[in-house]
Amino acid sequence: MKQVVIHPERCVGCMQCMPACATAHSRTGQLFTAIMETPRPHSRVHVGAGLIGEGFPNRCRHCDPAPCQLACLPGAIFRDSQFDTVLIDPDKCINCASCAMACPFGVIRYHADTFAPPGKTVAVKCDNCIVRQEQGQIPACVEVCKSGALTFEEPAAALKRKTDAVARSISVGATIEPLPPGFGLLNAIKKVQVELRQARPPAAGF
Amino acid sequence: MRYVIIGNGVAGITTAETIRQYDPKGGITLIGDESAAPYCRPMISLVLEGAITPEKLPIRGSRFYDDLNIQAVLGNRVTDIDVEKRTVAVGGSSYGFDRLLIATGADPRPIKAEGAALGNISYMRNQDHVQTMLAGLRDARRALVLGGGLVGFKAAYGLLRRGLAVTMLIRSGYPLSMQVDEEAGMMIRDELVRHGLDVRVDIEAIAFEGNGRVRTAHLSDGSRLPCDIVVIGKGVLPALAFVPRDRIRTDLGIVVDGRMETSVAGIFAAGDVAEYVDIARNTPWVNAIWPEAVNQGRIAGLNMAGRRVTYPGSLSRNVIRIFDLDIMAGGVVDPPQDALYRTLVFNNANKKLYRKLVFQGDHLVGMVMVNGIEQGGLLLAAIQSRAQLKVPRETLLEPGLNYGRLLWRPAIA
Repeated sequence: MKQVVIHPERCVGCMQCMPACATAHSRTGQLFTAIMETPRPHSRVHVGAGLIGEGFPNRCRHCDPAPCQLACLPGAIFRDSQFDTVLIDPDKCINCASCAMACPFGVIRYHADTFAPPGKTVAVKCDNCIVRQEQGQIPACVEVCKSGALTFEEPAAALKRKTDAVARSISVGATIEPLPPGFGLLNAIKKVQVELRQARPPAAGF
Repeated sequence: MRYVIIGNGVAGITTAETIRQYDPKGGITLIGDESAAPYCRPMISLVLEGAITPEKLPIRGSRFYDDLNIQAVLGNRVTDIDVEKRTVAVGGSSYGFDRLLIATGADPRPIKAEGAALGNISYMRNQDHVQTMLAGLRDARRALVLGGGLVGFKAAYGLLRRGLAVTMLIRSGYPLSMQVDEEAGMMIRDELVRHGLDVRVDIEAIAFEGNGRVRTAHLSDGSRLPCDIVVIGKGVLPALAFVPRDRIRTDLGIVVDGRMETSVAGIFAAGDVAEYVDIARNTPWVNAIWPEAVNQGRIAGLNMAGRRVTYPGSLSRNVIRIFDLDIMAGGVVDPPQDALYRTLVFNNANKKLYRKLVFQGDHLVGMVMVNGIEQGGLLLAAIQSRAQLKVPRETLLEPGLNYGRLLWRPAIA
């Protein structure tokens, strides 16, 4: 079963995955009509800024066993075995935020949603784009990611590639496969920006 | 292997499910006091407030016991455990076991007031209590809630939502004093008062009067208070009256080790009745909360079925949504005045945003959040993992907190 794999070192923080996700979870499925919808579609992948403002595409890991599923009071969170995906039933959800306490990654949001009963605030998170997958498409965030920070592949294959990379790096005469130089430059600029800001902090605090 | 589980709350049924997962053939007997299908206890307050119907309470289907091939013995409390003969006595019968789980939960702490047996005075611990309260609500106008803990607070909130005039008597200056710090507690109090709650501090009910049904409460300051429904929420105590204390080690709860095993081999305990180390306080503690009952049930089930799995300890935590406030708190929220602890606070009264973090050295040991609670799980996970912080402490206080900010990436740091 293919899963979305995150490569945070390749995220440039462009946030294109977010509107792609929101659109994929809208009623109309088109960006320009999706923004007019009520309730407004929200992204389920969240690009957060790290310590120097570097991007981190944060999404549900579909843990097994899933702490949110174990903590869910009304039993609204369940695992879809076909897609190995943790899902939330919006009809059963009571918006108690027990899952917010349980999720160690902070990927669950609470708002009205296209697929929930009208007007009801429910817990919402990544569903691995099951509807798209059933139509032969890959998850929307992966499709739109330009920098290779999100890939859709067999977890075993991804793991083997990383293991092989580690093995190569400790071999005789090994060279570490470098990231394309753009990533280093981008992060160097972001780091300098933070240092400049710290040297001359803005007047008002957060 | 013969398994006997005492208690059909969430700890008991999670244990039963876990055992069945790893031992398809073993005989499982589940003894429960409540005969209703397994249901979600924390949700009974939602039935009181009218947010859900009682049909939403069950957490497992009606065929749960049959599907897992569990012999269910419901409707009576266990009266005795014979540690030597390895039997449990209930309702005149006796059941032999190889592995026993005690998951009897907790009972409401009783009050001493005179007339406490009058009609319309009730605890709020199980489905039946809430049904009784709902029946008594029909012609009730004035409610009295004893205690400002989680139960008293939820009862008060539910009754306010039902349109009653509610008076709450509490010992400390603000509700939920065991769960949150003073700042958050006062925010909660103000929110409830704004919606009509009458809070009285440092006062107790000493007697009740009425003709079959409660009409008046006599308070410790000599005053009288008319009321036609009373809810007692003075906390809970582990339900272990039947446990032979000379054989099985008990403290406030039944003392267990990291595998949820008691001082007697083959006898386990889990849930509200069990006492194990609290991760944040680093001391034995009974954390009577739903998610810990589930965790402990899993660990007990695994070990009873022969898998050696240990539990790192429990953590007190709670999340509550009332009117316009979301509150999440966990671990040590009110540290002693001690050089060991360091506290960071962020407070924006206009936006009703409040955050407090308690550190012990490089470890986060406690948190309180009012509103903006979506990332609270990150902080609780940081407390639970006892991870040494690699980022500046202030990072955790920022409203823009996200998982990426907690990552230490040497390549760019």
